[in-house]
Amino acid sequence: MSNEKYKLHPITAIINFVKVLKELILPFIVIIVANGFGKSGGDGSWYSYISYAIYAVVLISLLISGIIKWKRFRYWFEGEELRIEYGLFVKKKRYIPFERIQSLNYTEGIFHRPFGLVKVKVETAGGGPTKEADAELTAITKNAAEQIKKEMMHAKNKQSVHVDEVILEVEEQKDETLSIFRMSMKDLLILASTSGGVGVFFSGIAVFASQFSEFIPYEAIYSELVIFIRFGVLMIALAIFALLLVAWLVSVVLTLINYYAFTIIIEDEEIIMTRGLLEKKKITLPLSRVQGIRIVENPLRQLFGYATVIVDSAGGSLAEKDESIRLLPLIKKSKINPILEQIFTELPLEPNFTRVPKRSRKFFYRLDFIWIIPVAAAVCYFFYPYGLFALLLFPLTFLLGVWQHKTAGYAIENQRLIAQYRTFSKVTVWVEKRRIQSMTKHTTYFQKKSDVSSIQLTIKSGVGGATTTVPSIEKEDADQILSWYEPLKKSTIEKEQPSF
Amino acid sequence: MMRTEPINRLSEKGLRVWRIYGVLQAFIVLLISIGAGVINYFTGNYMWIYIVAAGVFVLIAFLLIYLFPKVRWTRWRYEVREQEIELQHGLFVVKRTLVPMVRVQHVDTEQGPILRKYDLASITISTAATSHTIPALITAEADELRGRISVLARVAEDDV
Repeated sequence: MSNEKYKLHPITAIINFVKVLKELILPFIVIIVANGFGKSGGDGSWYSYISYAIYAVVLISLLISGIIKWKRFRYWFEGEELRIEYGLFVKKKRYIPFERIQSLNYTEGIFHRPFGLVKVKVETAGGGPTKEADAELTAITKNAAEQIKKEMMHAKNKQSVHVDEVILEVEEQKDETLSIFRMSMKDLLILASTSGGVGVFFSGIAVFASQFSEFIPYEAIYSELVIFIRFGVLMIALAIFALLLVAWLVSVVLTLINYYAFTIIIEDEEIIMTRGLLEKKKITLPLSRVQGIRIVENPLRQLFGYATVIVDSAGGSLAEKDESIRLLPLIKKSKINPILEQIFTELPLEPNFTRVPKRSRKFFYRLDFIWIIPVAAAVCYFFYPYGLFALLLFPLTFLLGVWQHKTAGYAIENQRLIAQYRTFSKVTVWVEKRRIQSMTKHTTYFQKKSDVSSIQLTIKSGVGGATTTVPSIEKEDADQILSWYEPLKKSTIEKEQPSF
Repeated sequence: MMRTEPINRLSEKGLRVWRIYGVLQAFIVLLISIGAGVINYFTGNYMWIYIVAAGVFVLIAFLLIYLFPKVRWTRWRYEVREQEIELQHGLFVVKRTLVPMVRVQHVDTEQGPILRKYDLASITISTAATSHTIPALITAEADELRGRISVLARVAEDDV
């Protein structure tokens, strides 16, 4: 194994510089606004330039530190480890054994693309308390990135030879690249325009409604005040509407940029997702790290037959905030099954759901009434005539409860538990038995009287856990799920007690 | 199919410790109701407020010191088997939890000042995503259990 030490591409210096600059931009603006404008009357005296000189010095020193950081950075392969040496003033070294590397993620920013470079993020398991448990190679050529991958595969294969002879199999899998999904422009537009669009919708209604208040004859009571209030309401509603509209447009553009050309391929037992217009992101997710799969249909998108598919994965770094990865950000419901079939071959996609018994319907709305009663009472009392609308909360909650009750169900097939439930969005979850960390059966006093129970199960998601609830099913069914989850008794095979 | 309850109970001394916790909590309620009484004395001096404050205190003290610990203690059951740990607990909601040995990552015992006085310890079983606590066991018993779980967890295998 050659111990040649590699450097990053020189563009790293610029990227480092821009990165620090980005973080400084807000304080800079504050200082400039507070300092530069207003008092600079243009008298031309030398001290009015001092602040500019300071800015220049700061900028240049940042640039220099970026260059030094790049100069100091080295990486090489030695002893089946990826070794990195870096540091501005203090020289630091980090050795990462290849077997510990969970995945390599590639990002291509706007600085990378003209030179055919990538940013490589090395993810290890565990996360741990230190945020920077992983390594980041800011800019290397694609060939160099390929080489890291090759070295990693090489090291991993070498180990597996000692364990068993899977090397041939691995070699074979390497060539298997399966293109699974490519998001169409139409779907992308729908995704962009329906994300966070609810606020705009409601504020639009508010503008509309404030016009309708004319028909309510309350002018007679205190006309002047009312005109004033109504005008004010209209103005505020319009302002909010405009604000939300802008926010919505921004989110549309951001979503378009972030999810542009979203594709999934399967390669070598790994899901590889690429997306992004300005910054091309490539996320690698080994199939063995997938803990659970969710299909989420929010009511608005459900109406048009669209859904989102999310996977929970284990590990990952603390810094990464979305441990649940959107596998398919938006897709026609009818197209989901063929795709999931290709990725997760054993997934029972058309399970036979056991629904929730009719008598447990009350548990879906009754508890909510407890908080609604005081709230509605208070609103009715303080905003007397219009406050009465708060009473609508009761039928609405009731209907939502009925809806939730209708959606809820579970199925057990193929060593997997499939649960379906709704808060607002309808969620279908597939969890493999061996991925469930623990399972709890909940029975409240009233549930006990009705002979029903809820089942709660937790899987690992990122560094924490994700909990799924199967609400208010038959008590017998709940017991059956627990028994299904209970490990088999191995009474026949007497295990050897190791001597510690 | 009816599942049988886990067989082991907590130490009887645990009930006493919970009563002590109840007394401490009730003491805070007592301070609040005395405060309400004092304010009442200087503002309105209504008789009914004294009665309500006293009534609330007595009720809460009864619940915290007598009823809740008793119900909790009778409900608490646990069992450590070769392949799994089963827990049952809960005051208003009865929770029945199953933790397979294969999923156990580590086991801790812990002992606060009050628990130490009564020679008790709590034991916490952690998986990759959850943690579960058995609150009041005799220290020796807790230590033994910790050792047993850790051995069982090491030899357990996935059956899928």
